Amino acid sequence: MTEHDTVPSDAVPAADGGAPATVFADATQLADGVEAMIELDRVTKRFGDFEALKDIDLRVGRQEVVVVIGPSGSGKSTLIRCINRLEVHDEGRIVVDGIELSDDVRQILAVRRETNMVFQQFNLYPHLSVLDNITLSPRLVRRQSRADAEAKAMALLERVRIPEQAHKYPAQLSGGQQQRVAIARSLAMEPKVILFDEPTSALDPEMINEVLEVMIDLAREGMTMIVVTHEMGFARQVADRVVFMDSGEIVEVGTPEHFFTSPREERTQAFLSQIL
Amino acid sequence: MLGSIGAWLRANLFRNRTDAVVTVVVGSILLYALYRFLRFLFVTGRWEIVRVNLPLYLTGAWPSDELWRITTVIVAAALVGGLAAGVAARRAAEAPDRVDTGPRSPGRVALDLLDRLWPAVATVLLLLILARTAAPWLLVVAAVVVAIAANQVGRRLPLRVGWLVNLAIPVGVVAALWLLNGGVGWNEWGGLLLNLALAAIAITLCFPFGVLLALGRRSTFPILRLLSTVYIELFRGVPLIALLLLANQALGFFIPQSIAPGRTVRAIVVLTLFTAAYVAEIVRGGLQSVPPGQIEAGKANGLTALAITRRIVLPQAIRNVIPALVGQFISLFKDTTLAGAAMGFLDLLRAAEASTQQDAFRGDGLIAEALVFVLLVFWAGSYTMSRESQRLEKRLGVGVR
Repeated sequence: MTEHDTVPSDAVPAADGGAPATVFADATQLADGVEAMIELDRVTKRFGDFEALKDIDLRVGRQEVVVVIGPSGSGKSTLIRCINRLEVHDEGRIVVDGIELSDDVRQILAVRRETNMVFQQFNLYPHLSVLDNITLSPRLVRRQSRADAEAKAMALLERVRIPEQAHKYPAQLSGGQQQRVAIARSLAMEPKVILFDEPTSALDPEMINEVLEVMIDLAREGMTMIVVTHEMGFARQVADRVVFMDSGEIVEVGTPEHFFTSPREERTQAFLSQIL
Repeated sequence: MLGSIGAWLRANLFRNRTDAVVTVVVGSILLYALYRFLRFLFVTGRWEIVRVNLPLYLTGAWPSDELWRITTVIVAAALVGGLAAGVAARRAAEAPDRVDTGPRSPGRVALDLLDRLWPAVATVLLLLILARTAAPWLLVVAAVVVAIAANQVGRRLPLRVGWLVNLAIPVGVVAALWLLNGGVGWNEWGGLLLNLALAAIAITLCFPFGVLLALGRRSTFPILRLLSTVYIELFRGVPLIALLLLANQALGFFIPQSIAPGRTVRAIVVLTLFTAAYVAEIVRGGLQSVPPGQIEAGKANGLTALAITRRIVLPQAIRNVIPALVGQFISLFKDTTLAGAAMGFLDLLRAAEASTQQDAFRGDGLIAEALVFVLLVFWAGSYTMSRESQRLEKRLGVGVR
């Protein structure tokens, strides 16, 4: 485990679009020479007496797409919410792009400015127009001028294919459009990592694909992503690694081929047989 | 037509025997009350006490050769208000997220304004009719003309200088207070002028203070939370009039007489401190109505706690509690009469009361006439505030979510 802590900063990054995709002895770790973007060491999180995360070890490399699946209540959301400190972990270390999360507010802000999150319920700001939703953080945090921020926001809205909605308010948009605005809002901060917390679970079926397409584009462009989802098709097509969680533990990690065709663990097999 | 009226009556007032009895009984009582009231207004009421005492009711003991100060302030307010409304209209028209309602004719605009402000307009008209002299008419016409002209200028101003107009509002308020204070020291103000000034200043001050208290009560710092909670519960637990009496008569126990402020300042301070506690609880309710996902989104987006509060939480929280907030401000406006009663100001209510004891009217039993006039003025002000709050609510799209 420790050899990855000493990876030199000029280590060879993963190839564009591709990523480390071999099965290792311990698939929670990265191949040698792959730079870690996110490191979780023995992370435990409790809600009262309930252990939501137990001793989680996981590394995510630059430009890697990791899909987290598992039954509800298995700790998937808690896992990614610990990475940007929406939840405070009780034990272990979490390091994002070399910054360790602690009680230090500056460190937390620094991590949140390198990461971003897309929520199940979109969580757009209802009192702001689509354009203002996207430009708020770039203007306040990155000190961009309104003109610059709006020009970039329009480019992002083109990218998520809804430039014509720029001046509407969130309540005037469909769920799929709102989620694409949320993705554009995340991208506006030029994050190194985007955490997706069940981004399609609150959508009507006909809107799921428009959101998944945007996410697939992002993955192809080399964004580092951790995606909690029930969309197995997406996991198969886009994931570099699939993480299966149950009862707060990582049960199994592997490439999609390995994971969906020949899972090792019984719990994984049982889960997959239920949903596939 | 007649048939439909008959159908409506049957459906709403005479559906069955009980309905019919209730309709007849309640209807008779209401009609009789209306008859008595109209008779009082137009037949038996002797309104000369109001007519003679209008200057006293409106401005207290303001000397007539200093009236130009009030006139100047009214015209200046029309100027700045018109300019600001013009700039705001221009901004709204050019905002990319506007809802296009098409151009409106001047007549349409005037009708909309009348619909918005009719209680105030009606009261001003009544005052003008009662006054029976030309000067007030001239003043009102001048103010309206200035406001319309300034509005047109505001619409044509380049947007770059718009902020100057916004700056003119606080500067104008300070200048107006200074100008008025030059005429009669503001501890000697009276009449409706005093009620309006107390309410306006206390509302302006208690709102930010109340918001801070609400944030303090939800703060993660235990000391701040404790102080805010103690403050709020203390001020909500005592009668306003007791606080006013205390400030008027017993302030010397707390502050040396030499540095104790005048009674107008004392009244403003008490009204502000008292109302801020209520505003705090209202705003706290609003803060609780903002879903936690909003704060999480702000955090995930890299915003600081201050930016999340200022740009995400507070705008939504306050939008959600506008009706309750305006209700509190209306209360404050009416409670300024308590300041008159407790601190000896000649405010509108006490001026009206005092006028019934003048030599010309003593023993005439004109208390009803004087008080009904006071009620009308307060009702017009309160009802206008209430209607404006409903309009604001609609404009900010409460319930859009």
